[in-house]
Parts: sequence; structure tokens; C-alpha cells
Amino acid sequence: MIKRQNLSSYIIALVLILALNFLLPRMMPGDPLMAIYGDEALIAMTPELKAHLVERFALDKPLWEQFGAYFLALFQGDMGYSYYYNAPVVKIILSSLPWTLLIVGSSLVISTFLGIVLGIESGWRRGSKTDRVMLTGLMSLNGFPDFFLGMVLLIIFGVIMGICPLAGALTPYSGLSGLPLVLDVLKHMALPVAALTLAHLAGSYLLTRNTMISVLKAPFMLTAQAKGLSQNALKYRHAGRNSMLPVVTMTGIWMGRVVVGALFVELVFAYPGVGQLTYQALLCRDYPIIQGVFLIVTISVLLANFAVDLLYPQIDPRVINAY
Amino acid sequence: MHIDLKKELKQSNLGRTGMTILLLMIAVAILAPVLSQYDPTEQTAASLVSPSLSHWLGTNHVGQDIWSQLLYGARISLLVGFGVGTLSLILSIFFGLSSAIIGGLYGRVVMRVVDALIVIPMVIAVILVAAYIRPDVLVLIFLLSLLGWQSGARVIRAQALSLKESGHVKASATFGASRFYITRRHILPELTPILLVEFIYGVRRAVFIEAGLAFLGICDPMLISWGSMMRDAMRFTYLNVWQWWLVPAGIALSLTIIGLTFISHAAESVLDPRLRGEAVA
Repeated sequence: MIKRQNLSSYIIALVLILALNFLLPRMMPGDPLMAIYGDEALIAMTPELKAHLVERFALDKPLWEQFGAYFLALFQGDMGYSYYYNAPVVKIILSSLPWTLLIVGSSLVISTFLGIVLGIESGWRRGSKTDRVMLTGLMSLNGFPDFFLGMVLLIIFGVIMGICPLAGALTPYSGLSGLPLVLDVLKHMALPVAALTLAHLAGSYLLTRNTMISVLKAPFMLTAQAKGLSQNALKYRHAGRNSMLPVVTMTGIWMGRVVVGALFVELVFAYPGVGQLTYQALLCRDYPIIQGVFLIVTISVLLANFAVDLLYPQIDPRVINAY
Repeated sequence: MHIDLKKELKQSNLGRTGMTILLLMIAVAILAPVLSQYDPTEQTAASLVSPSLSHWLGTNHVGQDIWSQLLYGARISLLVGFGVGTLSLILSIFFGLSSAIIGGLYGRVVMRVVDALIVIPMVIAVILVAAYIRPDVLVLIFLLSLLGWQSGARVIRAQALSLKESGHVKASATFGASRFYITRRHILPELTPILLVEFIYGVRRAVFIEAGLAFLGICDPMLISWGSMMRDAMRFTYLNVWQWWLVPAGIALSLTIIGLTFISHAAESVLDPRLRGEAVA
């Protein structure tokens, strides 16, 4: 079902990502081994280890052979080794990934759903006072960077009111299990998720509202009205369902934005996800981690977009004939 | 499409508000030395002093005047914003127009690359590159432009393609006008409103990302920007200094982005015939 041209742009994207990841450390001046492994590695480096690594990455061979070695290692699931944590990169990233997925997933679902509902209501009342207030309000909200929203929420609810915990994803050493544990996790994720949701609500809202306005003028709306359907059936079943379509196509790209937003928000709340990991890695120049995060994040966004492309004809069969 | 964008923007509430905010920020950036009496990088008092007549917003952890930092921070944000806006617009125009006018295999290849770049999250690519090269302002502008021209190119190409098929362009071709002449004389002038919208998008994105990178501490640490102010202020949330340190920096940054959002939304409502007339309300 997928169009060939779409597939080719995904392949180009993948090649660009891999090339960036491969070429960047090797083009840096100085010892490529240091650029690949970071400052920390030099302390742990013994001559035997160095020889082993040079051989592993084929660093004494021409560039294309190096790429072959790099690609082969990657294919086997080897993203390198962090000398800062003294563990394979894959293992480190996989241990922090679930936390990021938790807050990204929740805020993506909440902000998309809320944005669609608000967009439908706002577009339905186009030009009214409610619509104008919502439009201006949400657009202003859109201007606040997610990390600033996070800090404001942290100060209000954490520092001043003391309702929410200030940092982390769990209460340390609490030994909770079962329902109390779930509640503890929810309490810790409330503020980060709220910050991300507020920052990304405007995207799906604006898109739904704009589509809603043009859908309301479509002839089938007049027909539906003539059939004597109720307001709610008109609003949600006829206009609303069609206004959701562009939001679906954007989900993949938004996922990318929310993930990046999560990197910043996690830093504010000291949430132990990929963002926190990246920040630590940037501080101590732990390059393998930064590279691994880049690879995993970009490829997941790529896959999400690909999945949307595959699913879209199922949701809106008109696009099959559109080309 | 003959639209007097300037006039329409002035008539829309959102557009007017946005322009006012943006002009205010530009004024602040230019007049920074007049509006403050301290050098933002100089230690002028004890650290973490509360606001007073001599230091309107107090001082930060190393005794620098926060009010001057706030004013000078506008310079970095706007410099990066307008720099990236201009440079990425030039790239968008070049690739968008050339792929539409020349078409063929070249056009298809450019569009595939555009599609590929759109799905790569730009900020994380910038973080990766910046981790290695630690960019200064100029390098940052180049980097953000290189990674941010693709969506503009797509829009410009689509418009140019439809203009290419319009009557007056075809007529001009029958009179023997060259492709370059047609582009310069007939297509580019018609695109002006769209170019403006794309420019504002570019500026907005760059202001946003610059602040984020400074917040992460990736950029030149000596540079004073709103993002780096927030990063420093974040370490002192347990004191009450956030009221005059963190919040003003965050508000200044958000206000700039909101102003740009308002302008682009107002311009977009003018350009999109379906939404036309509503921003005037």
C-alpha cells in the first residue's frame, strides 16, 4: 500500500542519520578513538584495549571499511560502550527509555485527544467569543517553551504548594508495591506530563480547528443537517471525524517534538529518562551515549512516521486514489 | 494572489499585537546599553542580591546584574532568530524554486531529500552536532539553517508549481521569456507573502531552539542568553530568587515567541482562503 516515493525518503533519512552518526566523530581533529569514546575512555584505556578497539572499528583501514565495521556492529545491536557508566550503551539507554516513553506516551495521548475536542468545539463556534478566547489562549500557551512551563509548574505545585514531589520518578527506598507504587509513579509523572501536554496542546488544536472550519462548509454537512440530525451528531460524527484526519498524519512528526520536549522537561524534574541521560552525557562528553540516544530517538520517530503512512489509507481511503 | 500583507496584518488584532511585541523586543535589543548601566558580564555587586534601586532585578549567583542580562539576552535571541530566518529562507527559496522550475529528476531528488529531512527531529540532530563542535553564534546560525530549510522549500515549491501553470506565466513563455526571467519577474514577486510567513516560522523556530540549547548548556558558555539565564536560575529554585531571575527570563523568551506566533497566524489566516477574514475579527 505504501507509495514507493515515500519509502525512498525514509531510506534517505535513515542513510543521513547513520552517516551523521558515523562521520561526525571520525571527522573531528585528533584521535578518532577519543572522539568516538569521549574523555572518560582515556582513563580506562590500556594499550591492549586500544589495539582491540582500533581493530573493532577498523580505524586503521579506509573510510568505507570503517563504515562496514560500524554498520555490522550496529546490525548486531552493538551501539558501543560507555566508559563513564562502564556498561554497553544499549543497556544504559534501555534502562532509562521506559520512563521517557511513559511521559511522552501519556502526554501525546492527552494532548492529542484534548486538542481534537477543543479544536472541534472551537471551530464549531467559529468567530464567537469562546472561540477567540480559546484561540488566543492556546496560541499564547504555544509560545511557552516546555522547560519553562515545567519550571513554573515545579515552583507552583512543588515548591510553594508542596503537593507534588520535586524530582525523580519514584520515592527512593520506599519499598512500595502494588497500588501505592502505581500512585507514587503517577504522582511523580503528573507535573512533567502536564508541562509537555500544555506545551503541545496547541498543535493538534489549531490543526483540528482549521480543518473543522473548512469541513463545516462541505456539502455533506448541509445534507446531514437536512436529515435533521442532532447538533452533537453533526458536530462529532460528521464534522469532527473528518477534522481529525490531518491530526493523524501529523502524529509521527509531533512524536518527534514531544520526545525532544521530554529531553528538556526531564532535566527540570530530574526525571530519570533519556533526557536526563543525554544531559549527563553532554556534561562529561560521553559520546557513545549521545550517539546512541540520537540513533534510537531518530529511528523511533522514523518508524512512527512510517507506521502513520501505512495506517493512513485505512483511516481515510480517499488518499489511495489521490495520486 | 494579490494581497497587501502589511495592510491586512495591521487590520488584524493578532497581527498588531504580534508586531508590537516584536518591535518592542527589537528596541530592547538595540537600546540595551542605554537602558542599563551595567555590563552584563561584569561582577557589579555581591551575589544573589535582591532587587533594589541600583539593581532592578537583583544580581545572579556571580553578582552580575540580571536586568542588564535580560536586555542583552534579547540580542542573542534575535540575532540567532533573524540570522537563521534569513539564511534558511534563502535555502528554501533556492531549493523550492529550482525544484519546481527545473523539475525532472533533479526536482524529484530534492523533494525526496526534503521529505527525509522533515522526519528527522531537528533539535536532537543539533544536539548531536553541537556536542562535538561546541558552536559559537555564527556556527549555530549556519547549523540551524542547514537543518531547517526543508518545510519552507516544500511550501514554496508547491506555490511555484501552481503559478507555473497559470495563464500569464504561460503567455510570457510564449513571448520567449527565459525560465530565469519568468522566475524573477513573475513567480518570485507573487510569492512574497508566503516568503514572509516562512521567514517568521524560521525566526520562531530558531529563537526556540537557541534558548533550548543554551538551557542545556551546549552553546558558548560565555554567551548571555535567556536560555542560559534560566539554566543558571534553575539551580536556585529553593531560594526566592526565581521571582526576579527565572521568571523574567522565561517571560521575555515566551513573549518573543508568542509575538512571532501571532504574526504568523495572522498572516496565515490572510493567505489561506478558507480561513480568510477571521483574523480581522
